Amino acid sequence: MAVAMDLKTKLNAKDVDIYYGSFQAIKNANLAMRGQTVTALIGPSGCGKSTFLRALNRMHDLTPGARVTGDITLDGMNIYASDADPVVIRHRIGMVFQRPNPFPKTIFENVVYGPRIHGERNYKKLQEIAERSLRQAALWDEVKDRLNRSALDISGGQQQRLCIARVLAVQPDVILMDEPASALDPIATSKIEDLIGELKRDYTVIIVTHSMQQAARISEFTAFFHLGEIVEVGTTNDIFTKPKEKRTEDYITGRFG
Amino acid sequence: MIATGQARRSHRNEAIATWILRSASLFVIGAMAFLLVYLTFEGTKTFFVDGVSPFEFLFSTNYQPDMKHPGALVFIVGSLAITTFAIAVGGPFGIAVGVFLSELAPKSMAGILKPAIEVMVGVPSVVYGWIGLSLLVPLMRQITGGVGFGLASSGIVLAIMILPTVISLSEDAFRSLPGTLKEASMAVGATRWQTIVQVLLPAASSGLTVAVILGVARAIGETLAVQLVIGNATILPAGLFAPTAALTTEIITDMPGAANNSPLEHALFSMALLLLLIAMVLIVFVRFALRKRN
Amino acid sequence: MTTTAPTAKIASSTSVKVRRFQDRLATAILWGMASSIIVMLSIFVIYLVWIGARYITPDFLFGLPKETEPGGGIGPEIFNSFYILILTMFFTIPIAVSAGIYLQEYAKPGRFRDIVQFSAEALATVPSIVMGLFGLLIFIYTLHWRFGALAGALTMTVVNLPSLMRVTQEALNTVPNSLREASMGIGATRWQTILQTVLPSSIAPLTTGVVLVAGRIFGETAVLIFTAGLSVSINAPYDFSPGHTAETLAVHTWYTHSESIVPDVDRIGNGSALVLLIMVFVFNVGARLVGRALSKRFTGKVA
Repeated sequence: MAVAMDLKTKLNAKDVDIYYGSFQAIKNANLAMRGQTVTALIGPSGCGKSTFLRALNRMHDLTPGARVTGDITLDGMNIYASDADPVVIRHRIGMVFQRPNPFPKTIFENVVYGPRIHGERNYKKLQEIAERSLRQAALWDEVKDRLNRSALDISGGQQQRLCIARVLAVQPDVILMDEPASALDPIATSKIEDLIGELKRDYTVIIVTHSMQQAARISEFTAFFHLGEIVEVGTTNDIFTKPKEKRTEDYITGRFG
Repeated sequence: MIATGQARRSHRNEAIATWILRSASLFVIGAMAFLLVYLTFEGTKTFFVDGVSPFEFLFSTNYQPDMKHPGALVFIVGSLAITTFAIAVGGPFGIAVGVFLSELAPKSMAGILKPAIEVMVGVPSVVYGWIGLSLLVPLMRQITGGVGFGLASSGIVLAIMILPTVISLSEDAFRSLPGTLKEASMAVGATRWQTIVQVLLPAASSGLTVAVILGVARAIGETLAVQLVIGNATILPAGLFAPTAALTTEIITDMPGAANNSPLEHALFSMALLLLLIAMVLIVFVRFALRKRN
Repeated sequence: MTTTAPTAKIASSTSVKVRRFQDRLATAILWGMASSIIVMLSIFVIYLVWIGARYITPDFLFGLPKETEPGGGIGPEIFNSFYILILTMFFTIPIAVSAGIYLQEYAKPGRFRDIVQFSAEALATVPSIVMGLFGLLIFIYTLHWRFGALAGALTMTVVNLPSLMRVTQEALNTVPNSLREASMGIGATRWQTILQTVLPSSIAPLTTGVVLVAGRIFGETAVLIFTAGLSVSINAPYDFSPGHTAETLAVHTWYTHSESIVPDVDRIGNGSALVLLIMVFVFNVGARLVGRALSKRFTGKVA
């Protein structure tokens, strides 16, 4: 995993606080996420990593009572600006969820859902998009003969790759992944990890994971979360071999979490 | 991050859709409000236009509406009597079957009983009335030697008609109880019946109260079925087995022949207003009962 | 450690025996009550079939009614029942489904939502005869319309708003939130999500509910007596004009006993009652079949 230290920052969080009602879930988070890399967010359960991730594409807009303050910028532009459009933002920052959630439609309709929503009507174009996205998600060969079958008929691992294809179809800049393999078996998990390795060549990936081994395997940068704060950020190598903070070291060595 | 053309279009569609949906909701509120206002307006003409006192309307049995003496006490008593009968019979029965469905029934039995209840809900009130008329009334005639029409017949028909309501609401009330209650009771050695009586019934009391109140609402508003078996005699019920009349049955009996703007018509609308107010009061009670639960 | 003594002491024989007896007795009683409902319903069905089946002839089903002579039919009444049903649905479905979607998907918990829910509950509790008088008041007395299908359908619309709203809300509730998240996470607006994902996923319970409500509309009487009228149009048997009287089958059944002077009351009454009962089954079974078929078609979801 060669790390290019001069990669530009794609997505930047500065002084971010996140509240659920009066409860503060994230305190003073600062994180620069670089383009064409995988940044892993690790930490014990309940420490806020998913909460932070969801702020990155304004999913908290959908939760009544949730409040996000601070700056989150994509290519320098604030995604929480008053004239920023969440619809456009989610076009550029896509999300894959913990449990695969394909729509109860055909595989084809699932993949082209995004482009259709955004106005693409040309059937030929949609077919091209579908093939390209499914190839990128390493699913094409497995489903190319059954694009018109229900998406619910394929295995969990395949469904999750379908959800990834669905996100890829709108050609985002950034892909957010919230523990994408935690509901899958080891074989499916390794397929997803291989896929992430491929994706980072063209996309910026931020991944929440509760498995340190997974973070070590696939990411260039890692941020360690604990009790709503980002305790330490660094290259994955540094975090796992020479952590600077005691809490980080305790977590890495399994003393808690 | 400024909206693209397509995004702008989507947002505009969103705004239009939201506006339409919200208007539909406003229509619902408007319909209810309009109903209340208009019926109040027409229903109080007896008092404001014909000069009848509300006291006389509510408490006098002298029912001669064309002479401006629409004493509706006979009908009020009739309605209350048949409703009381119906809920006294149908209430406990319905709750019991609700308990049965929620706690005792195996899937096979539930698979027959629940569709049966669904069918009962769908049967039109005329059909219930018709069955009452052709089956129950002759039966009552045989048993009591009277005419067969009256409070008891109406009460029985009503009890049957409110059963589905009471049963399904009771069942819901029991199902919504946390399973830990039952477990805790059984864990100290209580039998199933003891658990039901000592733990589940009290715990579900607010839901059961709602079931009963809505059963009452259904009973007091029922018209057709009652009209065919109550006898339609404008006299106070002389007993369980003598013909009498209720608010709803009086309305449906005399309204088709009432001239527009006649004192009779005003009196009938006042009865309708009374029914409306009773319904409103019952809903407030339901809200109360639900709030107590939370 | 001895095993005989402790258990004998804990289980005091009389108390347990009594309680177990009560339990068994109560269980038996409850079973009896539940079974009696099934028995009672069966009796009703058998009885109605027994007294009415012989009258169900094509003449009866399609013939015209008669005012004073025997031998009338119920053809126009059946037509009117369906006509008013469809007309009512035409008005009610857009309003009720929209309001239901708004309450379930858009409205934030708060005053407005509460007021709408309360209005719907209130409307649902108003006795149908009061609604009938309301329709009479508005359409016939105030607007000076004639008794007819339109007045009936519009009044029925208000009557059925609450139940269709509830059907919509419950159907929308069956769609898991993860689907909404997946759609909005990709940049769809809430309306797009509802239109493209939530509604299609809820179509089976929605349709089942609509058919069941339709069944109840078919049998409604008190409202229609005062708005659609007590006789069939002169252009019978099939008159689509919304301003001509449109007596439905249910109304006719009541009318036959209460006001009518034909000599063959039994024939008309029993026959009509049976037809109404058959329609109840048709709607109920139909709702279930439609629901199952739609579930299968919209792949994967189980009814």
